[in-house]
Amino acid sequence: MATKIDEMAMTAEQDWRAGLSDDQLRDVLHMLKLCRYFDERMEALYRQGRLPGAIYSGRGQEGTHVGVTYALREDDSLFPTHRDLSAQLTKGLDLKRVMAQFWGRIDGYTRGRDGNSHIGDWYGSRTWTVMSHLPIAYPVACGAALAYKRRGEPRVAMAICGDGSTSNGRWHEALNTSAIYQLPVVWVVNNNQYAYSAPNSLEVATPTIAERADAYGMPGVRVDGQDVLKVYRAAHEAVERAREGLGPTLIESVSLRWRGHAGHDPAKYVPKALLDEYMENKDPVRRFQELLRSHEVVDEAAIADIEERIKTEFQEGYEFAQSSPFPVPEEATMGLWVEDGYWQREPSREGGTQA
Amino acid sequence: MATKTLEAGAAGHGAEPRGKRSEAGEATYLIAIAEALWEEMERDERVFLLGEDIGVYGGAFKVTEGFIDRFGPERVMDTPIAEETIVGMALGAAMEGFRPVAEFQYADFMSSGFDEITTALARYHYRSGVPAPVVLRAPSGGGVRASSFHSFNPEPWFAHTPGLKVICPAFPGDAKGLLKSAIRDDNPVVYLEHKWIYRRVKEVVSEDPDFLVPIGKANVLRPGTDLSIVTYGMMAHQALEAAEELAQRGVSAEVVDLRTIQPLDTETVLGSVAKTSRALVLYESHRFLGVGAEVASVIAEEAFEHLDAPVARLAPPNVPVPFSPTLEDAYLPQVSDIVDAVDKLTAW
Repeated sequence: MATKIDEMAMTAEQDWRAGLSDDQLRDVLHMLKLCRYFDERMEALYRQGRLPGAIYSGRGQEGTHVGVTYALREDDSLFPTHRDLSAQLTKGLDLKRVMAQFWGRIDGYTRGRDGNSHIGDWYGSRTWTVMSHLPIAYPVACGAALAYKRRGEPRVAMAICGDGSTSNGRWHEALNTSAIYQLPVVWVVNNNQYAYSAPNSLEVATPTIAERADAYGMPGVRVDGQDVLKVYRAAHEAVERAREGLGPTLIESVSLRWRGHAGHDPAKYVPKALLDEYMENKDPVRRFQELLRSHEVVDEAAIADIEERIKTEFQEGYEFAQSSPFPVPEEATMGLWVEDGYWQREPSREGGTQA
Repeated sequence: MATKTLEAGAAGHGAEPRGKRSEAGEATYLIAIAEALWEEMERDERVFLLGEDIGVYGGAFKVTEGFIDRFGPERVMDTPIAEETIVGMALGAAMEGFRPVAEFQYADFMSSGFDEITTALARYHYRSGVPAPVVLRAPSGGGVRASSFHSFNPEPWFAHTPGLKVICPAFPGDAKGLLKSAIRDDNPVVYLEHKWIYRRVKEVVSEDPDFLVPIGKANVLRPGTDLSIVTYGMMAHQALEAAEELAQRGVSAEVVDLRTIQPLDTETVLGSVAKTSRALVLYESHRFLGVGAEVASVIAEEAFEHLDAPVARLAPPNVPVPFSPTLEDAYLPQVSDIVDAVDKLTAW
């Protein structure tokens, strides 16, 4: 089985819009810009001391996040990491509830039981509530995919991790297992070149991560994460392949982590020249905006309109979060066991829950 | 009352077939567990099994012998040797509506799946509200000359982890009824079978397909008035033997079998101690921070006014389970050790 490194990139040139309508393209631009704006604004609030907890910026990787997720249907499932909030937003998370989560409020997706991008919405957007021990959700994605296969449902599970996760045993276990059972799953590696402070050279001895797919008996694809449509095209092909019962695919999407591992990390270990190159010449958001402008899918007014909408969305989310109550301490021990009924009740305006 | 038969091939690997109920309807613990799985798979098509060598081979201890012929390889899934993935895959399937029962070949190898058990499986519902009805079955415990890596009692690890129920049955009837309850429970359950009991203990077990033993309820195995021996698993059998010996000397020991470690039935334990005023906590997990450490604390805290003597603990020392018969016997509490501990307790 040949590894199709960059083969996707070549076919993408033949159809610049990757089969997407004007409305869909504008939607992709909206998501890219929303995710960028959210990331920048939340970091500002964090640095001002107005946001509790931690932040894990995904800036510079929006092309990967939006591109892979846009290939999923509503009932496909997504197993992301804390770096992939942009993917969760693309899958459909409500910005208001996301922000309530960041401020530890009852209306957050985890009702204050977790914070920041350790978030998920299984019954709504079909996303896994993120855990830190990456790639902890890779084996879990196998299980969801197994369920779809067993029931003969045309559904797909997609899991995202970083380049650092590919060093962990579970990454290999999950890929191997998915190929053995030919599970409908798509493995995405957001290769942002750094695992916290460790560069690719300290994580992987092969020239690419995609070529590891050969060892597990599945196709491996390497794409340019700065180009959202190339990413989308690769993901779309992998997702539909899985949906047709042809098994798993590994996608390596290469970008650069623009910010530190988390908000506290200045990331001085990233060479300035490399960072400048990506920020100035390879910005996936600006690049896509220019592409749509050159094809006259958007004009200045449309872009201004998108930006205005995003500011409003963010402001509404912020205000919603601030007005959402903190969870009441009396319920800290509830929700561990299914039978206490905590999660069957709705949040009240006092921060508790009610039937 | 269960009868004990000593059989050769102590380590209990599955060279022998699982066997059948006796004509009188007695089932071994091994047969009772197999019946529970079989009945629940017949009852609910969402239930499926996954694990290493459980299909054609029928499992290391032959619990699932013949299952693949009835239920097929999709519901009796042989997996690669990848414990983290076995657990994670069970969780993912449970999130999508299945009720997986994963088998570990030995409880010792649960450490190879530790993160998926204690981080992913245990903590998912509290943070998301998504139920994870997964049962992890694993043969635990010593006394079968299986040495360090095939004799472990991991119940304190999992009972300490919020979000997991932990069951350690000692008798065939409880094994069957509790496993059926575990499979029907909406929470993750760690179900620890004791391999020493597998083929040694048999009793008449209900054939009612809805026979259930409730999770979280202890059982008074033998009533007594002078002291309470609070225990579970293989040690329940040692405690009964010791109680018999003590009775011949006029000492009346009450034996309480916890059956479930998490949630712990403190009510039954405290009720027994209120009656007898003395407590020996007997357990097979390591003495230091083992299950009995928690039980002894609860008694000391909540039954202080009833106590005529300090709460005593009897449990293995903090070393790995050794192999040589002389060493393993020194490691595990013996009937004579229990009698000695009771003598000290009643001397107060």
